[in-house]
Amino acid sequence: MDASPHAVTRLHASRSYWLCQLGGWGLYSTLQLCAGAFILHLPWARIGIEVLFLNGIGLIFTHRLHAYIRAHNWSSYNLRSLVPRIAVASLLLALPLGLVSPFTLISSLQSSESLIQEVAPRIQLHFGPFIRFVHQWANWATLFALWLVIYFVALSIRRRRDAELRQSELTRALQLAELRLLKSQLNPHFLFNSLNSVRALIADDPAGAQKAVTQLARTLRYTLSAGREELVPLARELEIVEDYLALESLRFGERLRVERDLAPEAMAVRVPVMLLQTVVENAIKHGIAELPAGGDLRIVAGLEGGTLHIDVENTRPQKTERVFRSEGEGVGLDNAAERLRLLFGAKANLHLDLSRVEVAVARIRIPETA
Amino acid sequence: MRAMIVDDEPLARRELRRLLAEFAWIEIVGEAANVGEAAPLIDRLLPELLFLDIQMPGGTGFDLLERLEHLPRVVFTTAYDKHAVRAFEVNALDYLLKPIEPERLAAAVARAQAAAASAPAAVASSGTILERLFLRDGERCWFVPLREVKLFTAEGNYVRISWDKIHPLLGRPLSSLESRLDSKRFFRANRQQIINLEYIESVDLGVNGRLHVQLRGGPEVQVSRRQARLFRQLASV
Repeated sequence: MDASPHAVTRLHASRSYWLCQLGGWGLYSTLQLCAGAFILHLPWARIGIEVLFLNGIGLIFTHRLHAYIRAHNWSSYNLRSLVPRIAVASLLLALPLGLVSPFTLISSLQSSESLIQEVAPRIQLHFGPFIRFVHQWANWATLFALWLVIYFVALSIRRRRDAELRQSELTRALQLAELRLLKSQLNPHFLFNSLNSVRALIADDPAGAQKAVTQLARTLRYTLSAGREELVPLARELEIVEDYLALESLRFGERLRVERDLAPEAMAVRVPVMLLQTVVENAIKHGIAELPAGGDLRIVAGLEGGTLHIDVENTRPQKTERVFRSEGEGVGLDNAAERLRLLFGAKANLHLDLSRVEVAVARIRIPETA
Repeated sequence: MRAMIVDDEPLARRELRRLLAEFAWIEIVGEAANVGEAAPLIDRLLPELLFLDIQMPGGTGFDLLERLEHLPRVVFTTAYDKHAVRAFEVNALDYLLKPIEPERLAAAVARAQAAAASAPAAVASSGTILERLFLRDGERCWFVPLREVKLFTAEGNYVRISWDKIHPLLGRPLSSLESRLDSKRFFRANRQQIINLEYIESVDLGVNGRLHVQLRGGPEVQVSRRQARLFRQLASV
């Protein structure tokens, strides 16, 4: 997969993180400053220093917390394990700030005096500082908890959006793969050459031309509907291979010699649509089409121990004769092999045997399914 | 006009023959099914017009053109070939897509006739003096009129051609090319170079009896001492 979109996302994420961090703490500080100046009528300089000091520590703490959360992958936890962690982290981080805050003037914004008056006016003397500390501690803990809640809510929103994006990307990739398959099946070179053959036949051999048009129509219809059903009986696939071979025989004349050895019991086995067709086409393209004197094509199908064996053999051009563009003999089969793997897993395979100099053999193995 | 058809498919050849029967002045002197068959036949029959398929067993139409001693006017025929069609679009060579449309064939044939009428000399001297070269450089290919070539430079067993703004490489030695060039137009300046006399801008006398020839918009070529005398006679400098 391409790494760059992720890098961009990460950069984007880190920018919005800092925007939220500075924006949140900035807003909180401004509110405190205004409240301190206008409600408590405290000197600007004094509360300015206090707010900067306390909230600066708050910012540093939450930033460290952020690093800790990422390092320990808190985002992978579910709500039930997340809530206690948020509580503990908030209380721990709030502890030092709760100890310091009572000594600041700004803390009187959340005055503990009325609370103390109400709860225990008599123990004020002894427990006053403790209550003030607890009050400040709870205050800071709430603030950190709020920070964490906002953080995880924002994170989950972004995750959902990313997931949706990935899903749509995946759908697009699948559609592209299907389009490629369809395009590779509709071989324009074959199509236009066949039309040209038909055109030539119309004058000399009208009956032959009619037959060729029917064969071409059947081949095209089969190709175009290939996307609708995944598996067809071998007999059905062979019908189209025969139509295709008849059309190629028009083009190549005596140069194409076809031999068949087909076991009747293999005919009902269900095979991926267009698979054998692709293999036969490949054999012609890299075999007979490159041989000035033509060559042999042999299709062998049989059933052995619940596995369908199909071998497609073609005469290979010698190295000196192989002059077409650098395309290898097996390249056209990659897509077919991949489809076979997706449909049947490791039990099926397509292998091009190029160990012999004079003959190339494409071997297909497909398990007999119910 | 003598024409030949090269295509590996018998039906395609038959169809083209039938289409060409419309044009009484085109005589089909021969057919071939692949490069190996076509090359000697073309050099023997010397057709003026060649209908040439691109994808054939044993070599493409382009391979055939590179092997030919005698280069006829070429109309490519192809069913579908992305690469080739791109090459044509770049260079505006004549090509027909199969199945061939009679109207397009008529236009191509008319163009060939017009071209033959404007350069009749090629017919008489064909086989000895080259008029055009077929050159290929990666995916692009050209028919280069030789009179537009400024300079031939030997590079080992190849020849670098200076034509227009491009400098493609020809896959044969300079010595084999020299005998096929019009000696009134081309001059062997030194062991490595042949120049087109019509592209000479100025000539300077150098030391040791050498001549420096400045070509129009191009490099300066040194004429070896041995050739300088010949050059003086030719150009009466």
